[in-house]
Amino acid sequence: MTPVHFTFSSTFILGLTGLAFHRTHLLSALLCLEGMMLSLFVALSLWSLQFNVTNFSAAPMLLLAFSACEAGAGLALLVATARTHGTDHLQSLSLLQC
Amino acid sequence: MTYIVFLFLVGLVLGLIAVASNPSPYFAALGLVVVAGMGCGVLVGHGGSFLSLVLFLIYLGGMLVVFAYSAALAAEPYPETWGSRPVAFYMMVYLLGVVLVGWALWGGWYEGSWVSSDEMFEFSVVRGDVGGVAVMYSSGGGLLVIGAWVLLLTLFVVLELTRGLSRGALRAV
Repeated sequence: MTPVHFTFSSTFILGLTGLAFHRTHLLSALLCLEGMMLSLFVALSLWSLQFNVTNFSAAPMLLLAFSACEAGAGLALLVATARTHGTDHLQSLSLLQC
Repeated sequence: MTYIVFLFLVGLVLGLIAVASNPSPYFAALGLVVVAGMGCGVLVGHGGSFLSLVLFLIYLGGMLVVFAYSAALAAEPYPETWGSRPVAFYMMVYLLGVVLVGWALWGGWYEGSWVSSDEMFEFSVVRGDVGGVAVMYSSGGGLLVIGAWVLLLTLFVVLELTRGLSRGALRAV
C-alpha cells in the first residue's frame, strides 16, 4: 500500500462515517456523499494512470456523469423538503404533520 | 514533485475531515472545494492532466456552485464553524483515527511515489489520459449513449420532484 492508496481509502471511509453519524442537515449528508464520489473519482483515475491502462480513463468521466445525476436528484429532494417543511433538518422529517 | 504530492494528499485527508465533522453546510461546501482542488493536484502529480482539468472544471464549476447555492436553503442563525466545540471534537477524533491507522500501516508502505503514466511520452502525440478519454467516443459509444440517457432521465426526475401542485411525484409540496 502506498500513501496514495491509503489516502483515497481513508477519505472514502471518512465520508462514509460522516454520512452515517452526522445527520443534522440533509445538505451535510449530501456533501458527505459527494466527498465519497470524489474519492472514488480519484481512485479510478489513479488506477488508470498508475497501471498505464489508458483505455480505462473513460470510466472516471462516466462516474462523474452518474454522480452528477445523483447530486441532481438529491438537491431536488432538498428543495422539495425545504418547500414542505421550511427547513432541511433531518429531525423535522420524522414529524407526522408538515 | 513527490513532496508536493504528499502535501496534496495531506490536504485531501484534512479537507474530507473538515467535511465529515458536521459543521454548517456553508463550511462543509468550502471543505469540499478544498478536497476537489487537492484531488486535482494529486492527479496532476500522477500525469493525468486532462482528468484533473475535467475534475476542476466540471466539479468545481458545475456541481459545487449548485451546492453552494443550495446552502442558502439550509441557513441557520448560529452556524457552527470548525472552531466550535462538537465540531472540533469530531475533527480531533477523525484526525486521531487517520493518524493511528496510518501509523499501524506504516511498515507496509514500500514506496513514496509510484511511477506515473506516460513513461514513453517522447514517442506519443497526446497524453495517455487524453487518448483514453477519446476512446469513450469510439469504442465506448454505447456507454456514452447510456450516460446521456441517464442525464436526460435525471432532468425529468428533478422536474417531477420539484413540481408539486397535485401533479408531481411529491404531492405535498
